[in-house]
Amino acid sequence: MAANPVYFVRETFANLWRNVALTFAAVLTVAVTLSLAGTANLVRLGADRATAQFEDGVEFIIFMNPDASPDQDESIRNALESSPQIERFEYVDQAATYDEFRELFSEQPELYEVLTPEDLPPSYRVVPSDVDSEAVDDLAGQFENRPGVKKVATASDAIRFIDDVSSRVTVVLLVASLVLVLVSALLILITVFTAIGARRREIEVMKLVGATNWFIRIPFLLEGLFHGLIGGLLAYPALLLVDRYVLQYFQRSEDVLLFQSFAVTNGEILGTQLLLLAVGAVLGVIGSTFAVGRYLDV
Amino acid sequence: MIRLEHVTKTYKGDIVALKDASANIEKGEFVFLVGPSGSGKSTFIRLLNREEVPDAGRIFVAGKDIGALSSWKVPFLRRNIGYIFQDYKLLPKKTVAENVAFALEVIGRPRHVVKKQVPAILDLVGLADKVDRYPDQLSGGEQQRVSIARAFVNRPLILLADEPTGNLDPATSVGIMRLLDRINRIGTTVVMATHDRGIVDTMRRRVIELSHGDIVRDESEGVYE
Repeated sequence: MAANPVYFVRETFANLWRNVALTFAAVLTVAVTLSLAGTANLVRLGADRATAQFEDGVEFIIFMNPDASPDQDESIRNALESSPQIERFEYVDQAATYDEFRELFSEQPELYEVLTPEDLPPSYRVVPSDVDSEAVDDLAGQFENRPGVKKVATASDAIRFIDDVSSRVTVVLLVASLVLVLVSALLILITVFTAIGARRREIEVMKLVGATNWFIRIPFLLEGLFHGLIGGLLAYPALLLVDRYVLQYFQRSEDVLLFQSFAVTNGEILGTQLLLLAVGAVLGVIGSTFAVGRYLDV
Repeated sequence: MIRLEHVTKTYKGDIVALKDASANIEKGEFVFLVGPSGSGKSTFIRLLNREEVPDAGRIFVAGKDIGALSSWKVPFLRRNIGYIFQDYKLLPKKTVAENVAFALEVIGRPRHVVKKQVPAILDLVGLADKVDRYPDQLSGGEQQRVSIARAFVNRPLILLADEPTGNLDPATSVGIMRLLDRINRIGTTVVMATHDRGIVDTMRRRVIELSHGDIVRDESEGVYE
C-alpha cells in the first residue's frame, strides 16, 4: 500500500487543531509529569556526585587550610598514624583535589578556570576501624579545632543529610510523577477518543471503501505521539531551570561544603532529557493505543 | 460472483434476519431484493460486505469464502465492493470532488491516479459542473450521484445499494436507475434492496423476494408483486 505521509501529517494536525483545548491540556500535563520525573533524576545524580568523595568506607574528611604550615600538616598526619581507632587514611593534595574538582565539574569549566590548585583545601580522607556514628563523631571531633584544620566533614552527618534530603525529594517527586503519568495517559486517551468521535463519519466511510485498520489508526496514534513528544520537549526548559535555580544554588552554598559538588553535567541533563522524550513517546502511544483499540474495530 | 449457501443470521433476542438462505448471483447480473421492512434485505446486503458474519452457512464473494476471511483482509474485500445508501453518507465538510477523492486517498491510491479518476467519474455521473459544491448545496438526486461516484470510482466488481431511491422523487429516481443500469452494463454486478415497485416493474431484472428471513421468490425478469 502506497501510504501517503502527507495525508497522515495533515490528518494528525487537523485532529490536534480541532481539539486544541484538550490537546493543550494533554501536552501540558505530560510536560509537568516529565519535568517532575526529570528533576527527581537530576537530584539523584547530584546527590551521587556530592557524596562521591565518601566512597570506599571513608567516614570523615579533614579539610586543611590551603595555607596550613608544613608543621601543622605534619601534626595531623602523626595523629592519624598513631591513632589505633583509624584503620587507614588517604592524603589528597591540592593537585589531586584540583583534578577531582575538574572531573566533577567537567562540563562547567567556568567553575574551575578561575581556580588554581592553591585555592583548594588539601584533605585527609579517613577510614576509621569503628564505623558506629557516635564513635566516628567522637573521633572526628578530636581533629576539629587543631591548628591548620579548616573543617571536618563527617560522612555520618553530611552523607546522611544529603542522602536523606535527596531520597525524600526523589521519592516525593517520583510518586507525584507516577500519579501524573496515569493522569497524562488518561488525558491523552480522552483527547484521542474525542478526535475519533469528531471523525466518526469519516471513519465509517473509510471502513466502507476498504481503508485498512492501520491506515485509519495511524493519524490518531501520531496524535498521541505528538502529545508525548511535545510534552517531553517542554520538560527541557524545566530541567534547565531546576539546574540553574536549585542545584547551582546548592553549589554556591558557603556553609555546607558537600553541597558545592551537588552538580550535574550538561551531558547528564541531556541524557535525562532523552530519557524523558522516550518516556513521553511511550506514554503518548500507550494512551492513543487504548483509545483506538477501544473504538476502531472492523 | 456471489453465492450464499444455507445462510442463517440471527440477531440478539432471537430475531431471525435470514434463515437457510441460498442464492447464486452471476457476474454482471442486476438483482433487486424486495420484501417488507424487517424481511432481511439489509442483512442480506450487510453480509455481502462482511459488516455482519453469518451464524451458519457460507458466503462466497468473487470466489472467496468471506466468513473465513481474517479480519485484516476485510478492507481488501471491500475495495471490490461499492456501497450506496438511502442517506448517501457524504462528508458535509468536503466538496463533491473531495468526497470522491477521499475514497481513493484512504486506500492509498497515488495522487496522480486520484487527479485523473475523480473528474472522469464525476463526468460519468453527470456532475462535472458541480465538483466544488458542498453536499448541502446539492439536491437529493445529485447527492446520490456523488455517493455513486464515490462507490464506483475504484471500479469495484460489485455494487451494493440499500434503498438508493428511498429519499428521492420518482423522476429523480429514474435518473439514478439509468446511472446504475449503465454501471451494470459495463460488467458490474449490482444488488439493490428496494421498496420501489415502479422501478422494479419497469426494469424487469432478476428479483429475489424475502419474507421473514426466507427467500420466497427468485425469478429472472421479475416484478415487484
